[in-house]
Amino acid sequence: MAHATLTRTTEASGPEPARRSRGRRHRGEDLTKLLFVLPAVLAMVALFGYPVVKNLLMSLQDYGLRTFFTGDAPWVGLRNYTTVVTDNLFSQAMVNTALFTVGSIAFQFVIGLGLALFFHRRFPLGGVLRSLLLLPWLLPLIVSSATWRSILEQDSGILNRTLTGIGVIDDPVPWLNSPSVALIAVIGVNIWIGIPFNVTLLYSGLAEIPAELYEAGQLDGATGWRAFWYITWPNLRAVASVLLMLGVVYTIKVLDIILGLTGGGPANATQTLATQSYERSFIDFKFGEGAALSNILIAISFVFAIFYLRSTRRAVDE
Amino acid sequence: MTDSTVRRGVHTVIGVLVLCVMLFPVYWMVNASLQPSGNTLTAGFLPLDPTFAGYRRALSEQGDNLVTSMIIAAGTVVLSLAIATPCAYALSQFRSRWVSAGLLAILISQMIPGIVIANALYTAYERLGLLNSIPGLIVANCSSGIPFAILILRSFMLSLPPSLVEAARVDGAGLFRAFVAIVLPISKNSLITAGLFSFLFSWSDFLFALTLTTKGGVRPVTLGIYQYLGTQVQNWNAVMATAVLSAIPAIVLLVAAQKYIAAGAIGGAVK
Amino acid sequence: MISKRITAALASATTLSLVLAACGDNGGDGDDTSSSSGDTVKSLTILDYYNNDPDKSLVQKGLDSCASQLGVTIQRETVPGDTLIQKVLQQASSKTLPDVLMLDNPDVQQIAATGALAPLNDLGLSGDGVIQGMVDATSYDGKLYGLAPVTNTIALFYNTQMLQEAGVRPPKTWDELKAAAKTLTKPGRYGIAFNANATYEGAWQFLPAMWTNGGDETDLTSPQVAEALQLWVDLVQSGSASKSVINWTQGDAKDQFVAGKAAMMVNGPWQIPSLQKTPNVKWEVVQFPVNKEGQTPVAPLGGEAWTVPLNKDQAKQQKAADFVKCLNSDENELAWAKARFTVPTKTALLDQYVQEVPSMKVFTEQVRTARSRTGKLGDKWPEAAKVIYQAIQLALTGKASAQDAFKQASGG
Repeated sequence: MAHATLTRTTEASGPEPARRSRGRRHRGEDLTKLLFVLPAVLAMVALFGYPVVKNLLMSLQDYGLRTFFTGDAPWVGLRNYTTVVTDNLFSQAMVNTALFTVGSIAFQFVIGLGLALFFHRRFPLGGVLRSLLLLPWLLPLIVSSATWRSILEQDSGILNRTLTGIGVIDDPVPWLNSPSVALIAVIGVNIWIGIPFNVTLLYSGLAEIPAELYEAGQLDGATGWRAFWYITWPNLRAVASVLLMLGVVYTIKVLDIILGLTGGGPANATQTLATQSYERSFIDFKFGEGAALSNILIAISFVFAIFYLRSTRRAVDE
Repeated sequence: MTDSTVRRGVHTVIGVLVLCVMLFPVYWMVNASLQPSGNTLTAGFLPLDPTFAGYRRALSEQGDNLVTSMIIAAGTVVLSLAIATPCAYALSQFRSRWVSAGLLAILISQMIPGIVIANALYTAYERLGLLNSIPGLIVANCSSGIPFAILILRSFMLSLPPSLVEAARVDGAGLFRAFVAIVLPISKNSLITAGLFSFLFSWSDFLFALTLTTKGGVRPVTLGIYQYLGTQVQNWNAVMATAVLSAIPAIVLLVAAQKYIAAGAIGGAVK
Repeated sequence: MISKRITAALASATTLSLVLAACGDNGGDGDDTSSSSGDTVKSLTILDYYNNDPDKSLVQKGLDSCASQLGVTIQRETVPGDTLIQKVLQQASSKTLPDVLMLDNPDVQQIAATGALAPLNDLGLSGDGVIQGMVDATSYDGKLYGLAPVTNTIALFYNTQMLQEAGVRPPKTWDELKAAAKTLTKPGRYGIAFNANATYEGAWQFLPAMWTNGGDETDLTSPQVAEALQLWVDLVQSGSASKSVINWTQGDAKDQFVAGKAAMMVNGPWQIPSLQKTPNVKWEVVQFPVNKEGQTPVAPLGGEAWTVPLNKDQAKQQKAADFVKCLNSDENELAWAKARFTVPTKTALLDQYVQEVPSMKVFTEQVRTARSRTGKLGDKWPEAAKVIYQAIQLALTGKASAQDAFKQASGG
């Protein structure tokens, strides 16, 4: 970093101070350390390890409707993978997944950061307003998508009625009915759903930045944008990177919202890898192919995770 | 002084406006829940001819389910935090080559579609007799709570200076006691954040509720809502009314928790 | 708890010997075993998707009366409609299928093909006197696997007041339908509402037009099928139907009709109870129009069949079959049809039914000639249905012409 930034952690990272007190407590302490992580390890293996292995195996089998009744699932090697990758819809689903993920996250994050900064200034009712902002999250997705579907309805939906009423548009926008607009509308709804999450996490990140940093910055003339750039952003980076990482991982597998709004239509304009995987498993009952697609999905997220870990490690090393 | 009061007032006004935009769909839902036909097509901006039929039905049929959801969500928060917090601390403070492996595992866990987990848990639960049970649903919901809480808590705990705990250790406290006495209080804000999200994840869970229950006994409210959407009959005003009702206890809790966050922030947890 | 486990172990031991015994004597004296051991069956488990009132309690009544007739208690589980198959699969893999299982009729063959269901012919049931279309739907490989007490189909609902005001008579041909829809379209109101969404529901609503015109799912690239699709395209492009039909469900179409935003709709009789909740909307029903005069309207058969999953416990399996038989008794068919605005499946009951419920006349007439979706393609029907709804989506969004849409949708 070219400019000196004020962060909390600079003084903390030094030579390992724990070394001094090692020795007789050494073995007992290792055991304690193990006990810190053991419950989590067990939970992770049970809740994730087992399902993942099961899914991997399934993707290599001809696992269909019949399998559930007879238990027969012949091994087919990579055939499920070649089937799904050579499908007509695969490339479109990939592009849609990318657009959906990038579009959703970019706007969720920027809007979320803006709102978090806004709420960080203390003003009457700020806390209450911020909690109410979480409301969209509380609604069952099935209800949210039904509500949005009625809002976005081309002819009688309140959005088009309002927009034509105030003269922004002349003709009603076919939000969910045109292959060229539907993806944008679906992304819009997903942004709406994701904003509360982003605001809350970024707000807690902001709240943890000690006020002294800003006071010290003020003496150096760091106010407004400069304060944001040299104080807020560097201190927020850890939270922001976790948030963006999680954003990618969560958004890439979004299913319910798309199914609720368009079901992948119109004319497959909103098909993503997740909806395709769902369709293959639960509409076509080709569970092997569905598993192959969800493994592809997991693999893509995995690549992001590696990038994330490398970048954070670099940050730690600095 | 008055100048800043005015400015803060302006902020409140802007905040309310932002909220109005963000919550419009929620309002629209409330509006629909009061419409006689339960359908939003004829709805004006205001429910001029409100009916509470949907609410009467929802209250009489979904009361128990709301309690069930509350118990499950609270259980998920407790269990998730109990498991995640020590692990987050370990991942942020202990130096070991296993740390990045652990982090990677957690991230991978977040990539797994819920349906994959649900299907695997179903078979396991069947053998363990955990189907149709509140503990079963709590454990399942921890699959979203635990990894998330670990990541959030760790990213905050990274900034804790090791010297904090070291000071206590010099005074003779064990690692665990130091953790409880020093790390936990300092991490209050992030604990609340992580708990809040665990609560929300669990509260809005539908997938596990659907797959891990096979009969009526234990039924979270999200599943209750789904029951109103029949194959051939749909009761939109009851659906919307239940959604509104299900939001109320959660809102109360959220507003209460926010106070803690604000208080913690003002107190300046890290001195 | 412990004693329960012991009983379970004993039970499985006895069933094993029963199976062995059955293998030995080739199951020839099925009647004998059923009558001697039938009395030991005390309870039956049931799974269906009537999870919502009034259907839920109306069905419960029918189930209860059969239970008391057979002297058993029932444990019924209801799940939301679109999760039924998933539930069935879970239960199949854990060997916990119910004794009596309800399935939507187009799913019966697919499930029967897995070998999970017991052939009902061997258990003393038959499809004699049942509408051929329904027997087709619930048979697989020449054996009967399910019986549906009642059925339904779709037809054209119209708002009597709106047609009267516009001086339009209920349409009988496609040309009349298009003209009527056009005349009835006004600002804030469409002439007709239907469902053309990207699900099996969208394919189902297309079938009256496709089949009536002589189209067939075995050859979806035929001109007859394309003509039927052209009808949908014309209705949407002329503005007589909303462009939103590609996302609407049948429930949405009903909502539009009830809200006075559509003068006609394609829908089924199951909407009648909810139409009755808004008495100011007056409506009538006619059969779905034909393309050219002289064609016979052919509509798809809806409705759910009751099946008996294979059970090692022969006595229980027989009891379950008896239960299905009871559900399909004349009295029960009529009772369910009347209460739930559906149509009995036994042809002998149709005249009596129409006499007693005149408002169901049109649907009952349409059922006589109706076809099942799986009658021709069997368990391959879902693939054809997928091509159908995708072709509709392509054509209605202007991505392909009605002629090309089916070719494109089938990957050609």
